[in-house]
Amino acid sequence: MRKNAILGAVLGAMLATTAVQAADREIVIGYQAPLSGDRSQYGEMFRNAAQIKLEEFNASGKLAGAKVAITFEDSKDDPKEARNIAHKFLDNSKIVGVIGDFSSTVSMAAGEIYAAEKMPQLSQTASHPDFTKLSPWQFRNITTQAFEGPYNADWIIAAGKKTAAVIYIQNDWGISALDGFVSGFKAKGGKITATEAFNPGNRDFRSILTKVARQKPDVIYLAMFYEEGAAFAQQREQLGIKIPLYGTSSLYSPKLIELGRESVEGLHLATTFTPDNPDPAVQTFVKEYAARFKSEPGMFAAQAYDAVGIMLDAVAKAGPSVTRESLRDALAATTGYPGVTGATSFDPVTREPAKALAKMMVKDGRFQVVTGP
Amino acid sequence: MDVNVPDARLMPATLAPPAAFSGRGRRFAWTLLLLAVAFGAVPAAIVGTGSSYLAQIAITTMIFVILSASLNHVTGTAGLLSIGHAAFYGIGAYAAALLSTKLGLPFIVTLPAAGLIAALFGFLVALPTMRLVSIYFAVATLGIGEMIYVILLNWVDFTRGPMGIRGIPPIELFGWQADTLLSRYLAVAVIAVACVWVLHRLTHSYYGNALRALREDDQCADSMGINVERLKIESFVVATFFAGIAGALLAHTSAYIAPDNFRFMESILILAMVVVGGLGSLPGAVVGALFMIVLPEALRDIGDYRMIAVGATMFLSILLLPKGMLAEGTALGFVRRSFSRGWATIAGGTPVGWK
Repeated sequence: MRKNAILGAVLGAMLATTAVQAADREIVIGYQAPLSGDRSQYGEMFRNAAQIKLEEFNASGKLAGAKVAITFEDSKDDPKEARNIAHKFLDNSKIVGVIGDFSSTVSMAAGEIYAAEKMPQLSQTASHPDFTKLSPWQFRNITTQAFEGPYNADWIIAAGKKTAAVIYIQNDWGISALDGFVSGFKAKGGKITATEAFNPGNRDFRSILTKVARQKPDVIYLAMFYEEGAAFAQQREQLGIKIPLYGTSSLYSPKLIELGRESVEGLHLATTFTPDNPDPAVQTFVKEYAARFKSEPGMFAAQAYDAVGIMLDAVAKAGPSVTRESLRDALAATTGYPGVTGATSFDPVTREPAKALAKMMVKDGRFQVVTGP
Repeated sequence: MDVNVPDARLMPATLAPPAAFSGRGRRFAWTLLLLAVAFGAVPAAIVGTGSSYLAQIAITTMIFVILSASLNHVTGTAGLLSIGHAAFYGIGAYAAALLSTKLGLPFIVTLPAAGLIAALFGFLVALPTMRLVSIYFAVATLGIGEMIYVILLNWVDFTRGPMGIRGIPPIELFGWQADTLLSRYLAVAVIAVACVWVLHRLTHSYYGNALRALREDDQCADSMGINVERLKIESFVVATFFAGIAGALLAHTSAYIAPDNFRFMESILILAMVVVGGLGSLPGAVVGALFMIVLPEALRDIGDYRMIAVGATMFLSILLLPKGMLAEGTALGFVRRSFSRGWATIAGGTPVGWK
């Protein structure tokens, strides 16, 4: 009798726990990013932004009957590690979708596996033109250079400048930035005086600057990241070259001004995210990020914040019984997601994101929104 | 370095240990055990757990076993410190990728071709650099490694530069396609075991002794009639050949390669495998590869401190086992005894030389 009672109690307890689990299913999103190694500063920003968004989402009650968690894995920006992580995520049946990785090479190394094994993958930053062509399971939240290049070209032409020299970083992203800008600029009747590549890690631009300045282009267009951008602007100032600088959105970071100081004054760029945007969504994010992490969020943090937001909204749309398939379909149906990087929609055919860009320039030691050309 | 073991003939017969079981039996038992691990235990674990993560790690490990064993051949056995091994791994990978995607050649052709092309580059690099010794040779290989990386990165028309090469077909042999992870692992493991076996026969022989001799003192070896330059070139070409094979396996198992796979840090990782395992020790190189691939994965759960823990483990392993996990002297004795590759002068005596 007593045995039966104990058995009954145990069974009852087990049933109760399963009931609780059924009512509160745990849905997990995998996030792979470089949390150690050369590029760990980006992974750190992604993780910070993702945590804010996740807490907001779980508190909002958009998804009744389930709780969403994010599992972070460190890819070290290494394709080898990314492939291991991809399989680790695939083995975990709770994981219905993956965000990441940071660079295109690493995102695609993992992407080949997600494509074959049918796991939705949303990268906040992979801009390789082939990334979304891997399979219908790949999405990205960053506008590619095929979109940004012509946008900047229009802006420069509208400002009455007809010739440009392009300095670009020699990697997949740099080449796509070069192609996007050059084709857009030529289509509008502009003339490219020179295109100069530099290898990743290079910080000495003096010879490139001297060479480019000799042809006196109206503008120099920079396709690089803020570390190189700041070094470039300083060396340009030291050499006394006055040609105005335009750049890709990748230069947009408070660090650019911190490192470049006065030398980056007057640099123009168009970006999807600006912390000065009076939009309440942007202001909430900026305040929360600054309060928690004691730094102003840059474009990368904002991209991750919105990537997580898009992913979580898709989870909510698919409901608590979300699967990898239903999440993919919900992601593909994203239209006008009101994020901090502008309203985002995925193209139904190419799955490429479309966003509205804000035109900015560095003025009085900070980024300011430019109105007009 | 303690390479030579005392001759059994000098020992009184009563002190010589009794033969546990015959040389042939031991050799058979050890070979069987190693094959059982590679083709029995690991696939069983993959199937049993249904873990694709485990399968992926096993594939990566096997590829790095080839890289580490081949670098050990030139750096450990022949004593030529090469820190550009990842470049030849890259050449092999690009050769296989380009031959299969552009010319549509099958795996049976791309695999040896990748090895031969890498070996050809190895030969061309070896010709001028073999007159360099110690650290000068190391710096030369560093330079060559960087050069090859930069060429892969910048020769956009040919290698597609940083865009990488996509859509490399999986391993296929006479209509059999390795499309599941398990079959991919098995294919890679067969090739890795074959590579290690060839390196084993090269190292554990009088040819291997000649390489060790030129490592210890190349002038002395020269005066003994060993063709030092030729041997150095040969060992470098052999090592780059196997690095090329490893590259082909990477290309065909991962479908996508880009120059970032072959950065300088990859060369350092391979070198660390060899040193942690034991310079000059082939079993050590295998264990080192296993250790350096599995450890960072096993430590994933500790999060941010993962790479610090990996670094600390490496540091401690070198501090406590400066000759590596399986030191060369121990490894040679082990191979002589357990694979009956040495001559036992009296029954149960310490074996010497090579069969």
